[in-house]
Amino acid sequence: MSDEVVLEVRNLTCRFGGLYAVDNVSFQVRRGEIFGLIGPNGAGKTTVFNLITGMTPPMHGEVFYKGVNITSKRPHEIAMLGIARTFQNIRLFGALTALENVMIARHIHTRSGMIEGVFGLPPAPQEERAIRQRAMELLELVGLADSAEMQARNFSYGDQRRLEIARALALEPELLLLDEPAAGMNQNEKSALSAFIRRVREQFNLTIVLIEHYVPLVMGLCDRIAVLNFGQLIALGAPEKVQNDPAVIEAYLGD
Amino acid sequence: MRLSNQSLQQYRRLWWFASRGLAAAALVLLITAILTAPSGLQNLFNGLAVGSVYAIFALGYTLIFSILRIINFTHGAIFTLGAYFTYFLTGASVGFNGLLANQRLPFGLPFPIAMIGGGLLAGLCGILIERVAFRPLRNKGADPLLTLVSSLGVAVAIVNVIQLLVGAEIYSYPRNPFGEMPAALNLGTFGGLSQRPVVIRTIQVIIFAVSMATVVLLTYFVNGTKIGKALRAVAEDATTSSLLGINTNFLISLTFFISGLIGGIAGTLVGLSVNVSGPYFGINFGLKGLAVIVLGGLGDIPGAVVGGLVIGVAEAFVPSEHVAYKEAIAFAVLFLVLLLRPQGLLGRAAVQKV
Repeated sequence: MSDEVVLEVRNLTCRFGGLYAVDNVSFQVRRGEIFGLIGPNGAGKTTVFNLITGMTPPMHGEVFYKGVNITSKRPHEIAMLGIARTFQNIRLFGALTALENVMIARHIHTRSGMIEGVFGLPPAPQEERAIRQRAMELLELVGLADSAEMQARNFSYGDQRRLEIARALALEPELLLLDEPAAGMNQNEKSALSAFIRRVREQFNLTIVLIEHYVPLVMGLCDRIAVLNFGQLIALGAPEKVQNDPAVIEAYLGD
Repeated sequence: MRLSNQSLQQYRRLWWFASRGLAAAALVLLITAILTAPSGLQNLFNGLAVGSVYAIFALGYTLIFSILRIINFTHGAIFTLGAYFTYFLTGASVGFNGLLANQRLPFGLPFPIAMIGGGLLAGLCGILIERVAFRPLRNKGADPLLTLVSSLGVAVAIVNVIQLLVGAEIYSYPRNPFGEMPAALNLGTFGGLSQRPVVIRTIQVIIFAVSMATVVLLTYFVNGTKIGKALRAVAEDATTSSLLGINTNFLISLTFFISGLIGGIAGTLVGLSVNVSGPYFGINFGLKGLAVIVLGGLGDIPGAVVGGLVIGVAEAFVPSEHVAYKEAIAFAVLFLVLLLRPQGLLGRAAVQKV
């Protein structure tokens, strides 16, 4: 882990009606880190992801990615800068095959222009083969290569989560945002997930921010943890420090 | 679980064979009826000609529906605009009414080039309409139904602007726009099958050919190209697509441009066939176009063409003394098909999301 800050959110605030979903939240994520974002239901964790990826515009505050202010950029521009995410409620293209799901994300890395793309002129077919091959490698990595031609909607819940990660990796991100990657997974899958996330970080040189409810996973995996409650950041630091923080215990156990 | 799945598959296979068999039998009966009726062949050709107009109109609807899941009611107005643009690009003069009465462009283009120019201008209008009537609502997350209403409003506005600028009179294109060609082809009497000679107008053949070519190109574009694949992704989930680096707004603009281009060229060709009858020229196809895409299967590109041809042919077989019931027949066909196949002729059955 280096000291270089990959992601910084500064005074991020987002209000839905009268409710502060995210209230003046600031934190920094350093390169190579696995950063956990935890908190009770409705604490604003997913909203933070939506603000970072440009899906929801913030009321106040800024998001910096590698020192560049990306607050007002559009989602597809942010994706092209190298931020990929998965969703709490899985959002795959259900009617497309697993392979097509991953290939679509690869397409932004192709060089051939729009005109060639439209008419399918060379060198598009050659590139198409390269895209297909890379997509297959990613499916292999998440263990879904055998069902590459199956429609995404027919996968089991755990497999859909893994396919979503493969699709996010296809963007060649530097920063990967995982929204509850363990949700809906069985115990075996959950215990394998930790090792998988670590391996992915090494292999792709990633910085990872993850939202998770499953405490053993978070405590064992994350380098640092930020705790949100009612939209506010109530604790930030190493897992053991956060675990014993009175404010955190209060938020989870208090009335 | 597995067992019930299997029996379900068996049932599906049985139903597949039974339905194909029934459809084939109906088709054979229909063809026999057409060939033996007194002017069956002539009716068939007339029907295909009218049907291909419906089809090419409906393709514009279908393209946008397949991406945005809304009916773009401005398509009829764009169709009209295309016809007018072509007319003025040929250097012809505005009529005696409207603010632009008796004006004309300082240049005149040869007809085929004017037609393409008209199509391109109609496509640009499509982009503009998307910006004004669709995008603001989409950005605010409005219900698609509201977009439908706003597109209806824009359609009415365009019709009125046309009337204001160039009046409501009939405009006709020059004769022989594509060089010297016979006005019609006489196919003879086909032996004993039909007593009267079968005649097809050249322009009808052209419209038929253009709509067939369009459907082939569009199908290739959507299924065979990179942009087409991105479009399908946007159709399924625009938000997720944008998070994968797909510029959804650009692709939606492109869709409106292509839809407008096809609509503009279609408007010109239909104008050649029946004259540009005034500002409501294209709007009149609106309801029929809707029937066509519902019949063919919403959002299905080949379905729009099949639906158009079926309705066109069904109408053509209405005897001339009962011509007032033509529309009723077309919609009765629609009703019957939907009873048997609610997803339309070529549409895929909706898959229930769990």
